Amino acid sequence: MKTKFKWSHLYLVIVFILLYLPIMYLITYSFSDGSRMTNFTGFTFKHYAALFADTRMIQIVIDTLLVALLSSLVATIIGTLGAMAINTTSRSVVRNSVLSLNNILMVSPDVIIGASFLIFYTALKIPLGFGSVLMSHIAFSIPIVVLMVLPKLQEMSQSMLDAARDLGSTNGQIISRVIFPFITPGIFSGFFMAFTYSLDDFAVTFFVTGNGFQTLSVEIYARARQGIDLEINALSGVMFIFALLLVVGYYFIQTNNQSRKAKHQALEESEALAHETTH
Amino acid sequence: MKKSTNAAYYIPYGFWLIFFVIAPVVLIIYQSFFDINGHFTLSNYQTYFSSGTYILMTVNSVWYAFVITFFTLLVSYPTAYFLHYTKHKQLWLLLIILPTWINLLLKAYAFIGIFSQDGGINSFLGLFGIPAQQILFTDFSFIFVAAYIEIPFMILPIFNSVEELNEGLVNASRDLGASSWQTFRQVIVPMTMSGVKAGVQAVFIPSLSLFMITRLIGGNRVITLGTAIEEHFLTTMNWGMGSTIGVVLIVAMFIIMFLTGERNHHRKEARHEN
Amino acid sequence: MSEVIVELKHVNKMYGQTVVLKDINIEIEQGKFYTLLGPSGSGKTTILRAIAGFLDVTEGDVLFEGKRINDVPANERKVNTVFQDYALFPHMNVFDNVAYGLRIRKVKKDDIKNRVEAALKMVRLTGYDSREISELSGGQQQRVAIARAIVLEPQVLLLDEPLSALDAKLRKDMQYELRELQQRLGITFLFVTHDQEEALALSDEIFVMNDGKVQQSGTPVDIYDEPINHFVADFIGESNIIAGHMIGDYRVEFNGKEFDSVDAGMKPNEPVEVVLRPEDLDITPVGEGKVTVEVDTQLFRGDYYEIVAYDRLGNEWLVHSTNPAKDGETVDLTFDAEDIHVMRLNESEEDFDARLESYEGDE
Repeated sequence: MKTKFKWSHLYLVIVFILLYLPIMYLITYSFSDGSRMTNFTGFTFKHYAALFADTRMIQIVIDTLLVALLSSLVATIIGTLGAMAINTTSRSVVRNSVLSLNNILMVSPDVIIGASFLIFYTALKIPLGFGSVLMSHIAFSIPIVVLMVLPKLQEMSQSMLDAARDLGSTNGQIISRVIFPFITPGIFSGFFMAFTYSLDDFAVTFFVTGNGFQTLSVEIYARARQGIDLEINALSGVMFIFALLLVVGYYFIQTNNQSRKAKHQALEESEALAHETTH
Repeated sequence: MKKSTNAAYYIPYGFWLIFFVIAPVVLIIYQSFFDINGHFTLSNYQTYFSSGTYILMTVNSVWYAFVITFFTLLVSYPTAYFLHYTKHKQLWLLLIILPTWINLLLKAYAFIGIFSQDGGINSFLGLFGIPAQQILFTDFSFIFVAAYIEIPFMILPIFNSVEELNEGLVNASRDLGASSWQTFRQVIVPMTMSGVKAGVQAVFIPSLSLFMITRLIGGNRVITLGTAIEEHFLTTMNWGMGSTIGVVLIVAMFIIMFLTGERNHHRKEARHEN
Repeated sequence: MSEVIVELKHVNKMYGQTVVLKDINIEIEQGKFYTLLGPSGSGKTTILRAIAGFLDVTEGDVLFEGKRINDVPANERKVNTVFQDYALFPHMNVFDNVAYGLRIRKVKKDDIKNRVEAALKMVRLTGYDSREISELSGGQQQRVAIARAIVLEPQVLLLDEPLSALDAKLRKDMQYELRELQQRLGITFLFVTHDQEEALALSDEIFVMNDGKVQQSGTPVDIYDEPINHFVADFIGESNIIAGHMIGDYRVEFNGKEFDSVDAGMKPNEPVEVVLRPEDLDITPVGEGKVTVEVDTQLFRGDYYEIVAYDRLGNEWLVHSTNPAKDGETVDLTFDAEDIHVMRLNESEEDFDARLESYEGDE
């Protein structure tokens, strides 16, 4: 038993090393004084300096964040309305068909989404560029928002809505004071997921962006195809920190919610215990 | 009240459903019936099925996806299983998820350095006097990098299914006299099958279409369905043929979804759930 | 002297072909504790929801202070509900939950604070204002739900099985508190439960429901002592129900013997059912009692023994006795004429009441 336990830990450690080695490799060389990802030749910040001086790159970062922010905002609004629509649809045939359609973009490979959107924009003579990229990002983010918000809506019990009405609320007040605050965590998760979807995307953007507009992923791809450029390493160092902050922040919120639940459970148990002792 | 507000909710969402879900799918099918000069034709499908190259490319792509999925599963299942028994599993899980937040292209780019002639691996091998090998632009490098990228997406659904497993069932099996290996084979594996299926679905479909890795890591040696689509749409501008391959990819996607069952854990959604 | 606040007149409710309420006629008076008692699916919660305004009745009138309110939406009705699952708003703390209805009514801030404090004090939750709902135990959530409803000072409070989610001990405590609260507030409580002990303990008046109909209404004592039919006798308390027939006034035959009784007003030789409560049966040596039975099994219930015995005809007899019996022993059971309660088959509530009045007045 004891030895087996250790083996499993060794296995996990190896898997983790494997997972992180490439990322660490990348970041380590961002501090290398050379120009290639071989032979670490001394410590320097010059690639970071170059990165921050690269106005083209900074413009691309701003564009990428702008697309991510706008697309996730719009997708959150449309997706939340969509989830509410699905939730109030009582006929299960309609409901299931809508849900299946909703999930098409979730499971479709990125190339298919990219190619089909490209055909779509061309057919409608929509110019390729910022607009087409933004629309595509909105489009592929909507289903994830729906899937994040819908469970919260379904979690809401009918009796809670009855209670709100019983206490005197009109339909509008029920939506603004009960439903909306209740599903807010779902809306936030949806927004957050949509945001990361947009930042992560390469393939769809690659298809629908024209020559004039670049996002970070597309730029990295273009540069990587030309070979090693340690400025990209510096960029990955910055993005790693960014991702780390996002993840830690997100999980802090999540575990905070969970500890509340745990607290409640502990309370119930202590109450049960108190009953036993008084008897 | 219900009817009218429901309709109002549906307006923007319905617009999206029609224009960004239904229309693109219809368009890609429609486009597959046109040749490069814009004439209606069945020749794309004819070419696809009669010329050996397309069939061979498809078989190859499916084979690569299979190998990638196989190795991903091989590494992921024990990881997910062992993870369940660690003390600070939420923290470990976080560490599994973190790499998925790093841009895919950066991870692929890292391997250009690691696998290059004088990169990390070859310097390491050099310590043992082994001469530098050509690693980049081989089948091995393609499969390795693809598996590397997919591993977290396989671990998460399997981990969830292990978590859902009622510990009482494992105890019951031991109580009824099964050894730990028998318990693993007869109780744990069948009961975590849903997670495995979800993981396979989350890995296999993207593996058919990962064109950037074939370009950056596989050189142009490896051609997947995704690479072919990208080639036809963005390089040779033969959208008809590209759409035909797209239709093949969509069909493949439905077959895989059918084989791996209804329960689809979407890859990115999965990382939210933990 | 007491005025009727809520009244249901010939109310029917149907879901498609399924009838859930059949010709319900109920009067609810000011300041009393009413209980709708019945098994699940008997229609008791449907009545509550019809009064609260969460569902439309198919036929009949729902009246509030004499006015028809069938078409008044729930948010404009002057009744409030305590829900079975409490239905607290999880995204608000205790104070905000209780203040919800007051804020909807645009009550002034200071008033809200005072009234919420008062309501929380009423349910013994002073100092819990800023707690989150998820931090409360089931019993505390229950109190918040009550405070949230009573803070609006409704004339009628509807309680939909509010205690069903609590464990046995807490449930008992809350029964006392509810009764006390109702008396202190002086408002009408309409309480729904499937627990007959709870109904007997709390109510001024009980409506026993089954199959979408009110089977019997009356004080707990009336219903326990004089159940109208087999269902009520069986559902409320434990009983031995034996088929028999009336010889004449004050004379009933069952189990092959004639007995004196206190019931009258039935046709001679009319087939009836006889109810004998297990606690009214006493065990005596053979030859000294009225029915001879053989003891089959017994269970110790703490304050009494529950004994199951069979007579020669094979009828089962349930006896509550302070002394134990021996398994397999043959004993006699004895009871007084007042312990025998005779029920006619298919008698309506009005006929039952009229008959009781006709001969009880004589005495």
